[in-house]
Amino acid sequence: MSAVNSKVKINTEQLTTFYVGSELFGIEVMKVQEVTGQQSVVPVPLAPDFIRGLVNLRGQIATAIGLNELFLQKPRTPENGEMSVVCRLEGNLVSLIVDTIGEVVEVERSEFEKTPDTVSFSLRRFMKGIYKLNGSMLSVLDIEAICRELTTINESTSTSTPTTRI
Amino acid sequence: MSFSEEEIEEFKVEANELLDLAEKSLLEIDQGGDYRSSFDAVFRGLHNLKGGAGMMEFTDLQAHTHELETIFMSFKDKNSIPKNYIGLFLNGVDAARSILEGDDIKFNFSVEASSEPESPKLVLESPPVLGPGPVEEVKSETTYDLPESVLEEFLAECDDNIESISRKLQLIEKGEYDKATIDELYREVHSIKGSAYLFSFIKLGDIAHAMESSLESVRNGTHLPSPELLNCLFKSLQTIEALLAKKRKKESDEKFDSLVGVISKALSLTSSRLQLVPTLHHEVPNTNDETTELDKTTELSMPLIPSPTPVTNPSKEKESEGASSIRVSVSLLDSLMTLMGEMVLVRNQVLQYSNKTEDLEFSSMSKRLNVVTSEIQGEMMKTRMQPIGNVLEKFNRVVRDLSHDLKKNIDLVIHGADTELDKSLLEAIKDPLTHIVRNSCDHGIELPQVRTQSGKPERGTITIKSYHEGGQVIIDITDDGKGLHKDQLVKKALEKGIITSTQVGQLSEKEIYDLIFAPGFSTAAQVTNVSGRGVGMDVVRTNIEKMGGNVELSGSAGVGTSIKIKIPLTLAIVPALIVRCGDGTFAIPQVKIEELVRVEQTSESKIEILHGIPVYRLRGNVLPLVDLNKILSMQSQQDRQYAAVAMNIVILSAENFSFGVIVDEIQDTVDIVVKPLNRLLKSLLAYSGATILGDGSISLILDVLGISKIAQLGFDKAKHLKEDNQSQQSTDIQEFLLVRVGNSSRHAMAMSYVLRLEEFRPDSVELSGHQRVIRYRDDILPLISLNEALGYQPVDSNRSSIPVIVVERAGKFYGLEVDEIIDIYSTSLEMKDATRPSPGIFGNLNDPQGLIVVVDPFQVIQNAFFPQSVESFSSGKSLATESMDEEVAGRILLVEDTVFFRKAITNVLEKRGYQVAYATNGKEAIDLVKREAGIFDLIVSDIEMPLMNGFELARALRKLPNYKTVPMMAVSSKADTAFRKEGMAAGFDMYLEKLKPDVLLAAIAELLRSKKDAA
Repeated sequence: MSAVNSKVKINTEQLTTFYVGSELFGIEVMKVQEVTGQQSVVPVPLAPDFIRGLVNLRGQIATAIGLNELFLQKPRTPENGEMSVVCRLEGNLVSLIVDTIGEVVEVERSEFEKTPDTVSFSLRRFMKGIYKLNGSMLSVLDIEAICRELTTINESTSTSTPTTRI
Repeated sequence: MSFSEEEIEEFKVEANELLDLAEKSLLEIDQGGDYRSSFDAVFRGLHNLKGGAGMMEFTDLQAHTHELETIFMSFKDKNSIPKNYIGLFLNGVDAARSILEGDDIKFNFSVEASSEPESPKLVLESPPVLGPGPVEEVKSETTYDLPESVLEEFLAECDDNIESISRKLQLIEKGEYDKATIDELYREVHSIKGSAYLFSFIKLGDIAHAMESSLESVRNGTHLPSPELLNCLFKSLQTIEALLAKKRKKESDEKFDSLVGVISKALSLTSSRLQLVPTLHHEVPNTNDETTELDKTTELSMPLIPSPTPVTNPSKEKESEGASSIRVSVSLLDSLMTLMGEMVLVRNQVLQYSNKTEDLEFSSMSKRLNVVTSEIQGEMMKTRMQPIGNVLEKFNRVVRDLSHDLKKNIDLVIHGADTELDKSLLEAIKDPLTHIVRNSCDHGIELPQVRTQSGKPERGTITIKSYHEGGQVIIDITDDGKGLHKDQLVKKALEKGIITSTQVGQLSEKEIYDLIFAPGFSTAAQVTNVSGRGVGMDVVRTNIEKMGGNVELSGSAGVGTSIKIKIPLTLAIVPALIVRCGDGTFAIPQVKIEELVRVEQTSESKIEILHGIPVYRLRGNVLPLVDLNKILSMQSQQDRQYAAVAMNIVILSAENFSFGVIVDEIQDTVDIVVKPLNRLLKSLLAYSGATILGDGSISLILDVLGISKIAQLGFDKAKHLKEDNQSQQSTDIQEFLLVRVGNSSRHAMAMSYVLRLEEFRPDSVELSGHQRVIRYRDDILPLISLNEALGYQPVDSNRSSIPVIVVERAGKFYGLEVDEIIDIYSTSLEMKDATRPSPGIFGNLNDPQGLIVVVDPFQVIQNAFFPQSVESFSSGKSLATESMDEEVAGRILLVEDTVFFRKAITNVLEKRGYQVAYATNGKEAIDLVKREAGIFDLIVSDIEMPLMNGFELARALRKLPNYKTVPMMAVSSKADTAFRKEGMAAGFDMYLEKLKPDVLLAAIAELLRSKKDAA
């Protein structure tokens, strides 16, 4: 993998990479606010599994999202030192909980390809596409899609009255 | 010259303030307030607006205000303005507002001005400042032999002088000046004059000269400056600024020729009219005719600029407050507030830490930090505070207009207009207050003759009082009208089905008054356009409760009504109670808490179990209890023995009932800063926000209403509210009935199709030929299995009951069999087309929890019972559907109140290449048609709609000359013969029932084609 270049070239892109399970993911470097170690998470009762809870990030409240739960829909893996990638998007502060942090890689835009259709929808909907690296594939995370997941749940849906019969 | 959006926005804010000022002062004149000062205020408002409009190139607005101003000026020397003129001016002000918002308004200045008293200073045009005029090349009488740098220096110096002069003039206006101020002013004007002539800027010099001379007598100490003189001086300054601007751009100042002359004349005239210093007041020699006249009419009422002793005149001071304030955007304040909140948190943490250490220096520092932070917090809060008067004073106008419309005499009295509260709350309180005031005018205050008969003064009074009390703002709205008759309230509530006759006896007085807040309640015998539709008061309550306040009503028959509104000072920081439940801490807003109870499980105070749920007897009343652990699905204590150990109960009030919440521990009361949650977490209903506590830990803020909803408390009432909300707010929410059929996806159908839900026993199903039927009421209900219709695996018939959805189509009932009726589902999701068109399916809803398939029941019925008729209709025209695209893509107006159908039909039509405009009812459609320049090629309308139904719409449209022959099509779920007949009579060319898109498209194509052929 290439080293971090101080100059950003037009036809390349810098990605912060991390692992969820054995898969390598990346987010555009500019969208990442910070990377932190394990944070103390306050769970939110009733929330879906992938929402680990709320995190106090120096006075700001971030929503912690377990990518393991969100992507693979499997319960959180036993603690083996998780890391958090904090992104801010349209007023949402999200802390993505990942297994391990990789390095920042610079990729050629020409190496970009859209996600193969065979990747399961539950994963594909959060992916922008993939980069072919030497010896591995890097999935680019669609952080906007994740944030949309936080907002799409319609407020009116849940206000639907419990079982009415006419 | 173009202006940035920001500048235009700024101007609009400014313009609205000026209009408000003018309106307020007009009303003061109307109510017999001090004529002269109000007159001047109105004039100033209009005039400044005109100037500003000219500068910002709002030419329409400029022309409009100029006209108003001219008419207004004809009253300059009068003592009052007739009512009809006040009305004209008020309307004029309204029109100006609309123009400002970009509406094209033709305003009728039809009330003719009676006389045009000569008043030279006031015919001053606002100088044609900066941009507007055509830009000409350098051409003026001045010669620019001077080097650029010298010129620039001169200009800069002038700017400084002007600024300083304007400051001084403002001081003089406020009356805060002395001899030195005037001397300095004089000197500055003089220096402008000197250098202007030096640089041969003749016009500039002339104006400065005129200003200087006009100040002569004031400076000598013999005369007092009058408001007119000050106005003139301000005007002159403005002209000087404009002249300088022209100079800077090296443009011609020829246009100023006449203006300079007028200004000079005006200045000399006003200065000649100056009043002598008070001691000499009564011996003023009437030097010329004009002064005589002026003195006659205004001697008594003309407010003098106070003499050079610093006198504080509160009203003056308030108006000129703008001079010492700046505008800051609300978003900046908001972010400051957020930072402030964080600072408070850090302070708390520091304090907690300092309590633990022995370090004296540190602890004294932290104490100082504490004090300073609290102070900053207090001051910071003030920045967002605005006097409630800003809103209340608007009601002067409301009451005036209403009393005029209703032919009542009503006075509005406002106390405590300077009570301050958070700006966002101020905005939010405006609508509810307007509702209440309108209500008071309409059904509170009686007609004058009724009032005199009952021995009351002829004029009714509405009093609005606002004050601080216990950290809240209280607003009392009292009227001395006919009050509320309890019996009438009860009777009405019975009629409207809000209460049942068995409940009547049990109602307390408070509960009876509370009825007025029930949805669908209105005491007005007649629905007027002012109020009486019964949608007002419940919205008032909902809105006020939304902002964490409450509203109470009291009064007695014949004497009047009083409404008391309590709202918090601010929404940003709220006092809350911290409770522990399982491992989590939660905050409950203090305003929602009625009381805390600790149940020690003694014989007289204990939790009892009723049908497996815990209840508690609170002072004799049974209080439903909710276990927070259970509500939040916390595992810790699954089967709690409620009756065994001591319990902490927090009693909460939600909407109009109370309930108790069992928590593990009650901790502390703290002020919390509310942080918003993202939508997903908000949609859980249980939380309204989150906060960071002093120790840095996060705690969720419980949403009391949401908790009660999760616990399904007060459900009946909630349902009422919901139905009501739906009828009046044009939200895009659509209701579906969720059903289960033999397919893994959830299925739904639009509620508007559903007539009834029934459950039949399998043995009541009989066979008529091959058709399964059920005898239903006096009819025979044919059954269709939705499973079969949609091609799913039919279920085994060994069920104990068959859930059936009864649908009415063309006057006949049909029963749709499903496996299970699950729930009603409301959503604003947009329906997506079915991935593969299949019979009986409208499309899909992309619900986050999984796909929902939307069933088209009519089509299912159609396919099951009339399989050929669909074909027969479209077969002849089947070509039409294919070949129409390029030739007849037309503009279609779709009139449909149901969001679901509107979206579905629009979707279909747009896909076919039609342009679709829509209206949600007949009225809207008519408005739209009248507003639109072009003619729609086709109207597609629903029949059942609020305000104006399809038949009425058709009849109205046919009366419009442009729409006599435009094809109209009715598309309705009511499609039996009677309806069809009426529809055709009303003018529809075709009457379809809400059905397959293909049929609709074919029909549209046919109509458009026939129109084309005819043309």
